[in-house]
Amino acid sequence: MLLDAQLRYAGMNQAYLDVTHRRREDLLGQPVMKEFDAGPGHQAPENARQLAASFEKVLTTGQPDNLAVLHYPIPIKQADGAIIYDDRYWSCTHTPIKDADGRVTHILQHTSDITELERLRRQVGRLRPEEATSALDSLIGGGMFRRAMSVQADNRRLETERRQLLDMFMQTPGFVAVLNGPQHVIQLHNGAYGQLIGHRDVVGKPIREALPELAGQGYYDFLDEVLATGEPFHGRQSPVQLQQTPNSALATRYLNFIYQPIRNDAGEIVGVFVQGHDVTDTVMAAERQKLMIDELNHRVKNTLATVQSIAMQTARSHEDPRSFAETFQSRILSLSHTHDLLTRSHWEGADLREVLEHETTAHGLHRLTLNGPNVALDPAMAVSLGMIFHELATNAAKYGALSAGEGRVLVDWSVANLSDPHLTITWRETGGPMVATPDRRGFGSRLIERNVRHDLAGTVQLHYLNNGFTAEISIPLNKEAA
Amino acid sequence: MTNALQGRRVLVIEDESLVAMLLETILDDMGCTVVGPASNIDDGLRAVTGEAALDAALLDVNVAGREVFPVAEALKARGVPFVFSTGYGEAGLPEHWRGHPTIQKPFTEAAIRDALMKALNISLA
Repeated sequence: MLLDAQLRYAGMNQAYLDVTHRRREDLLGQPVMKEFDAGPGHQAPENARQLAASFEKVLTTGQPDNLAVLHYPIPIKQADGAIIYDDRYWSCTHTPIKDADGRVTHILQHTSDITELERLRRQVGRLRPEEATSALDSLIGGGMFRRAMSVQADNRRLETERRQLLDMFMQTPGFVAVLNGPQHVIQLHNGAYGQLIGHRDVVGKPIREALPELAGQGYYDFLDEVLATGEPFHGRQSPVQLQQTPNSALATRYLNFIYQPIRNDAGEIVGVFVQGHDVTDTVMAAERQKLMIDELNHRVKNTLATVQSIAMQTARSHEDPRSFAETFQSRILSLSHTHDLLTRSHWEGADLREVLEHETTAHGLHRLTLNGPNVALDPAMAVSLGMIFHELATNAAKYGALSAGEGRVLVDWSVANLSDPHLTITWRETGGPMVATPDRRGFGSRLIERNVRHDLAGTVQLHYLNNGFTAEISIPLNKEAA
Repeated sequence: MTNALQGRRVLVIEDESLVAMLLETILDDMGCTVVGPASNIDDGLRAVTGEAALDAALLDVNVAGREVFPVAEALKARGVPFVFSTGYGEAGLPEHWRGHPTIQKPFTEAAIRDALMKALNISLA
């Protein structure tokens, strides 16, 4: 009897029609499992399942399957239309028939009716329960029959175990693949392996054809070596360039893996078992951590050098240790305040108004008017402007508008030219004492000028006007473009 | 021994103005003339090709997120001795530049002097 891949009758010989009491025209094109439903009784569903499972196995594996003993009653229509089931035992072989591409298109069933054998065995068993059974068994092959039954049960158990093992393979979070023969043909792989290689259709293909991007990366050679030597190969955090999405650049992944030789019964190496984990995230995290530590070290050392510079420059303009300590301390605290602000945003940046408020609140909020839009500053800009505002506010408190009762400071800022944005800040003091241009440029004004030009790539003008000091600062917000 | 560096023109590349100011002060005290300081690689390269007289250079390794090595190559090609300055110390330099005179931040005046003397191949004896 012949079935197509949908398990419909495609052909049968006269002997099959005779034993099933059917006509060819009634069966052709009909689903076999519908025509023969294994009949009534609590055993029937299990019997039907065994038959269907055997067909399914042939379709998926492309390998022949045997059912040594199949209990399967045959429905026979009576003259009056009633259906009775003729109890039957069969022994079947299911053989796949494939097309040129290796796909299973048909299943050939060769079946023998072994009902008489079984019936005879049972009759004898009923008449003489114990010893006679064994004698007759040996005479007519009942023992053989029982052995066939037990082999069949073993087969079922092994099949279940095999399927469970396969399921474990398929579901394990690590990637698994089985490569066959000297060309390393991918026989099967699990979901994790599929994900690794971008879910390409690689089963049945040699590795060089399936994953051509591995050429020159050493992996083909490792596989050849495992096959040649029988020694397993371990890879640790091994970088690999893989095509994970079609038509895109190769992605770098890092893999922990092992190639293990697979041996046949004769001990010959016939394939390679591939198993491993994608450890890219771990490798990247370690790299990020190293970068962060380097960056932290860089920042700490630069900050120390900055503090050193502040100490040295402050010392040159303050001979009195007490006034040195006071000025030095306030500059360090100003730096520290900006760091606090940046820490809050995990060193992503700070808003201009926040930086200004931080540096000027000590002089009384009501004496300063801050007026301008939100401006996001990167960390370096925030640190620079923090120091600049600190010096401006300190100068105002010492010599300018904030040194006298009525004085005020107006800070206005705006951003112009949005294609190449520039930030303009105007610091204007009013109501303070008369202002005179200092005869000596102190560290404070040098720091302001240098910081704007050098660190911020901007321009600054300090005007010592009679009615109040004014500073105009212009800096590009996009330093890369500047 | 201070005279050994007297009048030398020293290019400084350093992106942080306060650190640059510190170097200027120290170099000034040694009698050197500071060229720059440059706050980025491009200005540094311009100084190397444009400045008529350069006796030595002090190069911050990490300048505004970029490495200073192109400037180091240009100086080497021109035959101008130079000293790296870095927070990492000499261990932070790539293989190619290991063993080159290096000062570590924060620095002392003596360390800067010694490194410059070494780069200029001036013996203290």
